[in-house]
Amino acid sequence: MSILASVWAWFGDGAHWQGPDGVPTRLVEHVQLSAEAVVIGAVLALPVGIALGHYGRFGNLAINISNAGRAVPSFGILVIAFQVFGLGDLPIILALTALAIPPMVTNSYVALREVDPDVKDAARGMGYRELAQLLRVELPLAVPLIMAGIRTSAVQVVATATLAALIAGGGFGRYIIDGFAQLDYAKLVAGALLVAMLALVTELGLSGLERLLVPRGIRLLMAPKLRRATTFKVA
Amino acid sequence: MIRNHRSLLLLAALAAMAVLAAACGTTGPTGTTSKGTITVAGFDFAESSILAQLYGQALAHDGYTVNYKLRLGKREVVAPAIQNGQIDLYPGYAATDLEYYNHAAGEASGDVTATVQKLNARLQPLGLQALTPSAAVDQNAFAVTKATQTKFSLSKLSDLTSVGNQLVLGGPPECATRPFCQPGLEKTYGIHFKSFKALDTDGPLTRAALANNTIQVGLVFSSDSDLNAKGLVVLQDDKHLENADNVVPIIRQKVVTDEVKTVLDKIDSNLTTPQLVSLNAQVELNHQDADAVARAYLQQHNYFS
Repeated sequence: MSILASVWAWFGDGAHWQGPDGVPTRLVEHVQLSAEAVVIGAVLALPVGIALGHYGRFGNLAINISNAGRAVPSFGILVIAFQVFGLGDLPIILALTALAIPPMVTNSYVALREVDPDVKDAARGMGYRELAQLLRVELPLAVPLIMAGIRTSAVQVVATATLAALIAGGGFGRYIIDGFAQLDYAKLVAGALLVAMLALVTELGLSGLERLLVPRGIRLLMAPKLRRATTFKVA
Repeated sequence: MIRNHRSLLLLAALAAMAVLAAACGTTGPTGTTSKGTITVAGFDFAESSILAQLYGQALAHDGYTVNYKLRLGKREVVAPAIQNGQIDLYPGYAATDLEYYNHAAGEASGDVTATVQKLNARLQPLGLQALTPSAAVDQNAFAVTKATQTKFSLSKLSDLTSVGNQLVLGGPPECATRPFCQPGLEKTYGIHFKSFKALDTDGPLTRAALANNTIQVGLVFSSDSDLNAKGLVVLQDDKHLENADNVVPIIRQKVVTDEVKTVLDKIDSNLTTPQLVSLNAQVELNHQDADAVARAYLQQHNYFS
């Protein structure tokens, strides 16, 4: 009870909302680190996953490599990268990018593989060239799964960006590390809550983006299924 | 039958061990009779092994038979061992030992004489004694790079009072709230830093941040082995903000004689913090053995002549 009250008081204290250690500054740092890592990861992972899925080759290899990537601990990468690159944002961006890549490779590969072969045949039959077929037929159909991969990556990255504070970086992890060191548990819990909230907001925001990106036709196609599923669950 | 063979074997092994132990026990300076046996212990870090070797080798040279229990453990292990008589002597640190024996009553201060006096008041009923403290000290210290030192012509912490607002302080996150760190610097010295950067406790982050000028003043320990190698200069704590963690031998009263006291006092009165830094560097950075480093130091300072 008292810890809840002190966390509440922490959020209520105006001093925690301004200056270099204020919530707005830490939010910007956290979002910036996470966004950089996800964008770099997407630029590297999506073309690979999409190309492999489109051609249907080396899929096992790509998925196995990226699954092995999931097993590499971010903290380990962080510490090694710190030894190599020293103080700064680079080590944490590297560790977070490595974390962001596997779900995006796997999901975009599967997304492209799962496109109905009949649809591809039809596109070819209608005279689409390969690139046009990929961009106008396969990709729109693959958007939901690709976006799911990006969402998974982004949420993991936002949660893991707290590690930045271990190597003197910014972000909400600062509150957790500092709170622990200073025995200021209100600060620690506030930091954890802020990270959790940011992860939720990321998930919801990307879901909204996904709704915008999925073509209307596919949305209509998926809608009854979703509704059925919901009714089924309620019943 | 087999059982008999085994017990015979066991007996032989025991006999062999006894002979070995006896042989070990009599190693001392050749040709002199031992003045008694002293068991010297050390904490589980390199500096303590070096100090224990300094004490031990000097005593051995004086004719005592010395046994070593190095890297015995933390104070929670070493202090009970000396009270039980399992060890006779260990290199202590005035303020930290005082706060251990008085159960963190907060009696330690920056005044080393007063701190050792209070320590002795606590040790007396336990049959222990703290001898003369050394000038060598292992405590919180604030370091700057040589470049920063030259730029602002710094030598002691009070030099920072006028220029602190241009400098960033770095240290462990708790430095921002602990009385022996940032708040203490503000209160005792009136230093108001431009900002504080949370790093680590005397570790690689602090070193890296000092090196690339992210911070200009960093929390270190005064006897850290890499201070010279990293080009760091410790600013003198001229207003005694930090507790006096001077090296001080803690010994059982039963073992203390005027002679023992003379031998140990000689070491402690000559040892300085820069010497301790260099001794630590030889062990931690150059990976030499503590006993060899201690022997070389004693030879160099004519203890054996």
